[in-house]
Amino acid sequence: MRKIDTFSANSLKILDKSFEEFQNKYVYNLSIYKKDKRTQTGQKFHNLICYYVKNFDISRLLLDLSSEELRFWKGLEEKLKTIKSKFIKTEYSFLTKESLGDKFYYLTGRFDGILQNDNDFIIYDWKTLNLPLNPCEDLQSVVYLYVLSKIYNTNKIKMRYLSIEKLNTVDVEFSDLDNYKKRIDKIILKLPWFNSLNSLDNGSEFQELSF
Amino acid sequence: MLINANSNTNRTEILINKYLELLSKGVKAERILVLVQNSKKKKEFINKIKEKSKEGFIGSLKVHSFWGFIREYIIENWPCVEQELKDKNAKILPHLSGLEISQYIFKKSIEEVDFVGYNSKTSLLHQLFRRNALINLNNLNKDEVEERAKILQETYSNEAALAINKYKAKTISLRAFDYIRQINIFEFLYKKAENYFEYVFVDDADEISPCTLAYLEYIKPSVKEFFIGYDEYGSSRLGYLGAINVDFEDFLKMKASKPFSSDLKTINALKIFNSIKEDKKIDIENIETKAFLKRNEMVDCVIDDIAKLINGGVKPSEIAVITPLADEFLKIAFEKTGFSFNFISKSEKLNQNKYIGYLLELLKIIIDKNNKMISPYVLKGIFIEILNIKPKEAVSVVQEYKTKYELQNINLFDLIKTKDDEKFKKLVEIYEKKRFENLSCILFEIIFNFINLKKELTKEIIKINQLLKQICDFEDVFGENFNKEDLIIQLENTIISENPLSDDEIDEEAIVVSSAQKIIDYTYKTKYQFLLDVSSENWIRQDIGPLYNSWVMQKKWSKDTFELEDNIELTKDRTARTLYKLYLLGDKITLYSSVYDYLGAENFFGIDKYFEYKNEFEKDEKKNIKPIIPRKDQQEVLNYRGGLMSVSATAGSGKTTIMLLLVDKILSGEILSQIEPKNIFVLTFMESAARNFKERIKAKYPNIKELPNISTIHGLALRILKENNNYSKLGLDYDFDILDEVKRSNILNDIVYKVLGATDKAELYDGAISAYKNELAIYDKFECQNKLFLKVFGAYQERLKSENLIDYDDLLALSLKLLKENDDVLKYYQNLVKIIIEDEAQDSSAVQQNLIMLLASKSNNIIRCGDINQAITSTFTNADTQGFKDFIKKSKNVVMDRCQRCATGVLDCANNTVEFAKYEKIDAFSDLIMKPVEGKNIVDKNAVTCSIFEKEKQESDFILNEIKSIIKEAKKNNTPVSIGILLRSNFAIDKWAKILEEGGIKTYKNSDNLINNLCYRVCLLILEYIANPYDLKVLREIARELYEIGFYDFDTLKYVNSVNEPIFLRDDFDEQFWWDMNYFLYKNHYSIYDLICEIGDFYFSSMPEADNIHLVATIAAKIRLSQKTFEDAVLRMREVQYKNSFSNIKFFKNEEKDLKKSKVSIMTLHKSKGDEFDYVFIPELIRDNLCLTPNDCKLKEKSTFIQKIKKYPKDDFQLKRDITEENYRLIYVGITRAIRKLYLTVADSYKFYAKDKKYVNSEIFEGVLCEK
Repeated sequence: MRKIDTFSANSLKILDKSFEEFQNKYVYNLSIYKKDKRTQTGQKFHNLICYYVKNFDISRLLLDLSSEELRFWKGLEEKLKTIKSKFIKTEYSFLTKESLGDKFYYLTGRFDGILQNDNDFIIYDWKTLNLPLNPCEDLQSVVYLYVLSKIYNTNKIKMRYLSIEKLNTVDVEFSDLDNYKKRIDKIILKLPWFNSLNSLDNGSEFQELSF
Repeated sequence: MLINANSNTNRTEILINKYLELLSKGVKAERILVLVQNSKKKKEFINKIKEKSKEGFIGSLKVHSFWGFIREYIIENWPCVEQELKDKNAKILPHLSGLEISQYIFKKSIEEVDFVGYNSKTSLLHQLFRRNALINLNNLNKDEVEERAKILQETYSNEAALAINKYKAKTISLRAFDYIRQINIFEFLYKKAENYFEYVFVDDADEISPCTLAYLEYIKPSVKEFFIGYDEYGSSRLGYLGAINVDFEDFLKMKASKPFSSDLKTINALKIFNSIKEDKKIDIENIETKAFLKRNEMVDCVIDDIAKLINGGVKPSEIAVITPLADEFLKIAFEKTGFSFNFISKSEKLNQNKYIGYLLELLKIIIDKNNKMISPYVLKGIFIEILNIKPKEAVSVVQEYKTKYELQNINLFDLIKTKDDEKFKKLVEIYEKKRFENLSCILFEIIFNFINLKKELTKEIIKINQLLKQICDFEDVFGENFNKEDLIIQLENTIISENPLSDDEIDEEAIVVSSAQKIIDYTYKTKYQFLLDVSSENWIRQDIGPLYNSWVMQKKWSKDTFELEDNIELTKDRTARTLYKLYLLGDKITLYSSVYDYLGAENFFGIDKYFEYKNEFEKDEKKNIKPIIPRKDQQEVLNYRGGLMSVSATAGSGKTTIMLLLVDKILSGEILSQIEPKNIFVLTFMESAARNFKERIKAKYPNIKELPNISTIHGLALRILKENNNYSKLGLDYDFDILDEVKRSNILNDIVYKVLGATDKAELYDGAISAYKNELAIYDKFECQNKLFLKVFGAYQERLKSENLIDYDDLLALSLKLLKENDDVLKYYQNLVKIIIEDEAQDSSAVQQNLIMLLASKSNNIIRCGDINQAITSTFTNADTQGFKDFIKKSKNVVMDRCQRCATGVLDCANNTVEFAKYEKIDAFSDLIMKPVEGKNIVDKNAVTCSIFEKEKQESDFILNEIKSIIKEAKKNNTPVSIGILLRSNFAIDKWAKILEEGGIKTYKNSDNLINNLCYRVCLLILEYIANPYDLKVLREIARELYEIGFYDFDTLKYVNSVNEPIFLRDDFDEQFWWDMNYFLYKNHYSIYDLICEIGDFYFSSMPEADNIHLVATIAAKIRLSQKTFEDAVLRMREVQYKNSFSNIKFFKNEEKDLKKSKVSIMTLHKSKGDEFDYVFIPELIRDNLCLTPNDCKLKEKSTFIQKIKKYPKDDFQLKRDITEENYRLIYVGITRAIRKLYLTVADSYKFYAKDKKYVNSEIFEGVLCEK
């Protein structure tokens, strides 16, 4: 069995929900590929925003949008144009190393955008689906706030979910680094190869997981 | 930093440490670009960083594979490209698609360009793909491509450029770019953007491609420091895989450190590299070599060796089997072992996986608007494998469907909606609700509803996802603009070039089976490396085709020409690099070679030639072989010391034994100095004789690794065409095929019908075309005047060209042409060929003789053996006996006139025949009179019986009774005897077999018919049963065949014969036979190849049938490819049953005397040549069958027609004489087959259309026998 030691917010969510589901999806790769329209729209917007923030000329790219998508974009552009110069990163991937007892695990992911206002940081996350119902508890907020606070060594961070369609936002303020870590650790301990009590061996052949 | 070190060192560790050092100094990870060879190396590099880095934020890593980086770069900067494009098809993100999309686009582009006269339309796509890849990889501009077209004297460069341009335009319009096309975009982009990277790491830089190098060159001024790890002897991907040999010291203007160069492994690896480059043999301690005759013997040995290791505690993961031929044959053999094997580099078609195969078939059924008949075999597979319906029910519903479709044209879904099973209902629901949706949507529904996501299916699910993804990609790129059925066909034929598709497919506890390149690319280190098929040409990649040349298309190519030597040297260099790298990855290496591939064709041009073979001849123990003391007439042959020698050897003079002794002497260096096996060429007339000769040498020298070249002349010609890509000099594509008998007859029937409107003239033209090709090859300026013939000939040639085929006559003619027109090729072979020994020289054609003379013209060592008295093919083939007669005159002629085979009476009869011809003034024979060997021949002056009967029945009764009493006597004496019935034509074989079988005598029909092969017969019958499970006749036939070979007992046979109703659906039986039949009926192999292998393996374990299983499977698979359905393929297999071969595949035959002694052999007189029997019967000797008077000879239309197309046509009188002469020789051959007794018989009347008809007896009775 592959002993996964690298986690994204999404894989943690699944592990949190059910070990079996996590195992099927990430250990045995038992999931069926599906490409729906919404995911495709999401992908388009992520790239479009990234190019826009990076100051590429995107006028021709807009030809690729449907009239509805164009309407969304107009609204979004309106919202972004005043702040786009403040983005210090877009589509920024990360990798951190965390200890858990005598073992290590890794967190990985990608920030859609990081905006800096003097000493304050806002993590932007563009959503095509609904905004999280319980954003403070959402593992994406936990992981992202935890990681960014480590990168910039600061507590002045918030996570902002922005609906591409409705343009409404939900913010989550940074709370407590240790609590974040404990929350993540607790989920990871569901895995037998991290929980020495459950572990059948001390295997060290960890493998990275591509997300 | 520049490190020149190999994979056996910690070069990568050093680079990683440097990387971490930079991070610790505060350099941000996103400012450091790391380029590694592939995604596996990327993963390993990142894992090392993870492992070695401190806790906390590591960074935003920029670690990429060479190709992955290009892809990422395009995604990051795409708007710059879009801004330059003017059309309305803008995309926020382009489709960075797979090769299957570009293949589709390319196909459409080719359709718009006319490649007039281009050889192979089938490989055009492949050729252009590679051409395009090389142009992009090497960043060649238009002028550079044109310059190369001149160097290579390309004929189709304009058409190629046009097709590639059209392809490019389409990819732009669709915004669909595969990894090769991405190179263009990348190049455009990096020149516009500012370099962001301060530090650049490149590992495995020796495998870097020119486009990546160009990028590094471009950013070099703005990079603070480079860290490059490479191996100067690496670059195994040189050639079309796109690596470039870079002088990195020059690139960085610094000296490379070579930290680890003195370990033994490195020293040995370098030894390998240098030995190959210098054409020296490799002799290294930890490399062992094992050589075999047949491929299955080799595979059996590997399996034994693996079993020994595993049973001795070695982990499977410590073993790698490396072969370029990880084919079905190997896969099936390995699967039977029970060990876990992991095939990681077998490129395969998507539908080779049965789930994918059945899913695609189901998709076709759902979208079909015309209610086409569904193959019952496929439907059964879908029901059982996808819907999980119980086999019995599945078969039952399928049979119901078949009947109702045939009667009422019923729609499948209308039928299954009446069934109770929920799965049928679910399928109907998908059909009704989704059939007009996108393919991806339908497929998702099927998978979602029927495929059980369980751990055991991990590998299948990866492939299913790949299929889904490909369909989605098509839908994304083309929207509605493609035909769904076209897409499915395209998907069925998609080859997965990347296998495994994902690292998740790799089972780390298994024995890896891989190509050398994949082992190198993955740096897959194992304790044991088993290198298989090292004698196969597939070990050495060929990088040249008519439309691409990987060497000349390299950016730095500077020569004005491209010679044969260039190709040899460059290919050798790449092979040296590959084997060097491979060696570094294994601790103990064993090489396995086999003379034949699994189809029984000879292997050539492998890497075995580079390795030192210990235990060669002189060290072999020649035990169990009785020393042969040659007779005086034989000794003369062995006294040969060079030059031209002809050996006139009569029948039964022991010619083969002496030739074997002669080869033995040559091999041991007694005759010619400085000669190696590779310099000796032995040419036989028949493939079976070549096999036999090889087997005898192998039996004598079990440890011999390199046999002399023993083949038919056609085998040699094929080698000449293939070696060093010589075919490209003739404008042939690399995958040219040889036209087989079945296809030739189809093509000719088709053409003759189209041109002449005739349905019965194909055979006529068949012989004429062959003769004409022969004439063209001999006479430089000649064109026949028969316009109609030329029309047929032209159409035939055109057809061959378009299908990339050549025929047997072309094989010889083209190799002759090649040698005549290319000095370099001629020199190569003249240096290689130090002696040619030809058997059956009397049957040699003029082209063949020209070829032999040309090849041996430098050494001038030619030995030609034959017997003019046994020339029996000259009237219907291109045999030129006069050529041999002329050779005898100009060479030292050794006469072997002692025959120790025949009883004295038989010898007299043969000699009388010669005398009789002389008396009749028929120039049929040489003056050679056979003499007995003292003390060897049976002395029996009455050995010949001649009987003339009134009626046909009397003749057959006589023969039947004689045979019965011979067998009875033999049984009494407990000394089995061999009996042969020799006939004038093939048609009579079945008749005589029937007479004997009805008389209770077992027969063996010695003909090359497919159906005469037991394995073919049994497999075909079982396939017929699977196709028609209600057919009791087939079942009875299966039972009878398998009872005959002792597989089932007599009770089974009786039981099967007594059953009168289809009972395959019953399950209350206790007969093993029913279990077996049901097993095959319920078994769902999507591939007919696998199915036949399973049937064959079940019934046949002994030779030669076990050897023939894969041959039958290959024939079936080839037939399946040309037929729409499984059922059609089975029908076709039955249709071609009387053909002699299919796709030139020749079955292995039982040469054991036991077979001959247990059955009466029935064959034609022609076929009997080379054979011998204790008792020989030659019946039906009427004048129509054996006319010995020229004036009475009847000429066939074919004979006269052929003369019409010849430069020097013979008149009817001469033709009749030729036929008479050959008839004399034919009966002479028949007579000399007999060891003890010979029976010549005839009746005055025979049945002709159910009526008795009078016939005149052959003159043989009046002349030869009356005299006696």
